[in-house]
Amino acid sequence: MTETASLALIEDYPQLKADLPGYDVDWCRAFREQAFSQFSASGFPSPREEEWRYTNVSAIEKKRFHWAAAEKTIDPAWVQSLFLDDCWTVVLIDGVFSSDYSRLSGLPDGVMVASVAEILQSNPDALKGYLGQAVSDKEHNFIAFNSAWFRDGIFIRVEAGVNLEQSIQIVHVTTQTETLSCTRQIFVLQEGAAAEIIETYAGQDCAYLTTSVNEVFLADKAQLSASKVQQEAEQAWHFGGWYVKQSAQAQFTHHHFAFGGLLTRTDIHCDLETAAECELNGLFLGMKRQHQDSHTRIVHQKPDAISREQYKGVLDQRARGVFQGRVIVAQDAQRTDSQMNNQNLLLSEYAEIDTKPQLEIYADDVKCAHGVTVGQLDENSVFYCQSRGLDEESARNMLTFAFANQMVKKLERKDLHDHVLSLLLQRFPQQGVDSSWL
Amino acid sequence: MTSNAQEIEDLIGQQDYEAGFVTDIEVDTFPPGLDEDVIRRLSKVKNEPDFMLEYRLEAYRHWLTMTEPNWAQLNIEPIDYQAISYYSAPKKKEDGPKSLDEVDPELLETYKKLGIPLDEQERLAGIAVDAVFDSVSVATTFKGKLKEAGVIFCPISEALQDYPELVKQYLGTVVPAGDNFFAALNAAVFTDGSFVYIPKGVRCPMELSTYFRINAANTGQFERTLIIADEGSHVSYLEGCTAPMRDENQLHAAVVELVALDNAEIKYSTVQNWYPGDKDGKGGIYNFVTKRAECRGKNSKVSWTQVETGSAITWKYPSCVLLGENSVGEFYSVALTNNYQQADTGTKMIHIGANTRSTIISKGISAGKAQNTYRGLVKVAKSAKNARNYTQCDSLLVGDRCGAHTFPYVEVKQPTAKVEHEATTSKISEDQLFFCQQRGLSAEDAVSMIVNGFCKEVFKELPMEFAVEAQALLGISLEGSVG
Repeated sequence: MTETASLALIEDYPQLKADLPGYDVDWCRAFREQAFSQFSASGFPSPREEEWRYTNVSAIEKKRFHWAAAEKTIDPAWVQSLFLDDCWTVVLIDGVFSSDYSRLSGLPDGVMVASVAEILQSNPDALKGYLGQAVSDKEHNFIAFNSAWFRDGIFIRVEAGVNLEQSIQIVHVTTQTETLSCTRQIFVLQEGAAAEIIETYAGQDCAYLTTSVNEVFLADKAQLSASKVQQEAEQAWHFGGWYVKQSAQAQFTHHHFAFGGLLTRTDIHCDLETAAECELNGLFLGMKRQHQDSHTRIVHQKPDAISREQYKGVLDQRARGVFQGRVIVAQDAQRTDSQMNNQNLLLSEYAEIDTKPQLEIYADDVKCAHGVTVGQLDENSVFYCQSRGLDEESARNMLTFAFANQMVKKLERKDLHDHVLSLLLQRFPQQGVDSSWL
Repeated sequence: MTSNAQEIEDLIGQQDYEAGFVTDIEVDTFPPGLDEDVIRRLSKVKNEPDFMLEYRLEAYRHWLTMTEPNWAQLNIEPIDYQAISYYSAPKKKEDGPKSLDEVDPELLETYKKLGIPLDEQERLAGIAVDAVFDSVSVATTFKGKLKEAGVIFCPISEALQDYPELVKQYLGTVVPAGDNFFAALNAAVFTDGSFVYIPKGVRCPMELSTYFRINAANTGQFERTLIIADEGSHVSYLEGCTAPMRDENQLHAAVVELVALDNAEIKYSTVQNWYPGDKDGKGGIYNFVTKRAECRGKNSKVSWTQVETGSAITWKYPSCVLLGENSVGEFYSVALTNNYQQADTGTKMIHIGANTRSTIISKGISAGKAQNTYRGLVKVAKSAKNARNYTQCDSLLVGDRCGAHTFPYVEVKQPTAKVEHEATTSKISEDQLFFCQQRGLSAEDAVSMIVNGFCKEVFKELPMEFAVEAQALLGISLEGSVG
């Protein structure tokens, strides 16, 4: 019998677990053991589960994953090329916090940025009220897997009323093949606090598995602007989740760019209390045999909350894109205002898109709408460009680029915008696209 | 209705379900229970050819290996399949009625009360009716006139005897016996239903219609409809359903198969008004139906129109498999749920042929404590070049304890395909209501008018008589949902 990845991981767990952060703390050990028993019962999610219908992760089972061996010497210039200017930068290498690369000097009072592994050693109770509170392991087994296996992560806490002037960038890099990079982040913004967090995922050219779970707690009137730039290596598997609890009037904005990886999936769940607002923007690009899955769920728990969502997908060659966007309006959530939009461009005969917007509404005084389109470039637009003297290929490139660039343009930070734009340009043929226009 | 009667009705607390009476008639009913012997007996009673018994038994054996699906957004009380009687028919006099004159007057009275006179002279418009009462077809009108045109319109049990080859050729080719749990059960135990064959190049001279009536208690109705439109033909088919008011849930698991060959067109309209249960959610029909059409030929077209106001639970997805080049699938639906009714309905449009087109217009109205779900799939295969789909799903909420849900699935493997989906959910605004009331309409009339306007896009697809009935039904079904 061939042994699968999950079986191998389950087998290794008893030797591994004593070294995991928090295992010597009673509540955390119980948390991990429970997650482990859930995972060991059924392994990674199967396409038979409705939420995983279009994303089959069985290929992962054919691989072996383990903690990275001793830190490999990596090119500092490559890591630093991922850094944005004027940010506090936290770096996780192969899923472990690296103090050498991180730049955290000058953090103002009332702001804490630290390694989760360290906190679980020095002051574990600081995490007790947060770990597993924004997302339950029952959601699916990637969460349970992460809860049982996470080796480190970043804890960020911004105290009440503090408005962070600089952004915090979290850079996840994976450097070795077959590495399992498993991190848990906890972000807490107290009442009225404001911050911006940018996540970057990158890897050196090898096959590895990233699973990263972010639990986010926004107290009343807190504001978090977040971005996720996923530029994983071509052979990488990636599961990343944002699970956001928004108290009254809290605001959450998220920009998601799924560019890299072989098979990737991102979950974004927002729980909205009274008059909270959330805005989710996303762009996924698929080339070759890439599989890009974006999964969002917005739950309007209380009245007067607003949600806006726009996701765009561009699929070329043999790529497959999946979008699932679910909006749930609870019985008490009167005067909910929710809009969702998903547009997809198929560029090749072999590309595929599966999209599933869902509205579940239990309140009556609501304004909810969603829209989905799938198509190719409009021939009239292509013709228009040609009639103005462009050759066909340039015209197509230009229109495709413009379609995708609409999501990039929503970024307010100049250097982040430029970085994402350059990634976008790298991935598409540039003939006909003049970056001086941008 | 006089105000006196209204008051009495209020006292009893019964909902205005006019079709809720029971016909007292002598019946042949199988004892409850299901096994191979029951199926053999059923097949024998219906005097079926051998291949049918084989077909049924195979379906039954397959059914035994299946489990009930549970993915829908529905709360279903467990169904005891052994407590259902699988055959119930009015007692036949010798060989059964040869003409309308011989049909039991009690039955004719029943249909008259339902507004479906089976007397050919009385028909306003030329509509041929096949009346199915519990497990059997009791009368089919205008048979002779249809025969002149070459159209076969008869109960499927009769077709099995008169045209076994034709039935064998098509039965189960659109919905295979093992397609799903309820389709397998239906294949094993279906009792009657309509069979329609329109020959090449014929435009059916009148509307065809089947009227389904559940009367007996503790029975299930399992009917099977098969419509074949041969090359270049055209047919419009209507279906209506009612049942008495009872405290128990009754199962209705039908299968409808449509086949459209080259250049053929089938228009299939349903006004479903099974007993919805009382206002506390007690009783009512479980309407679990598999309806599927295959546009096999080039330029063929199938159009489904449904108005779903009845049933405790409606669970069905009339679908189109668009195989032929340039074939067209349409789905127009109004689903109204009130009190504790639940509906999980929608459609599947499977685009396989090139230049295939589909349109989906779905209007869901949810009132009281009801849950109304649109679930649909638009699938474009790699072969479906230039496929086109437009979907619009609107939901209207009446009251703050009901739910409206939309679950569209879109799967596209062909870059030249264009797929659009739009959905909105809203409630009747205070402004709209105020405007109508200010002009002298009662709140209920105002709601009824607004709802009818909301559904207009679908109603205009219905044949005229049905459109009128559908509008009236909406008004009745919404009763008690305002104020």
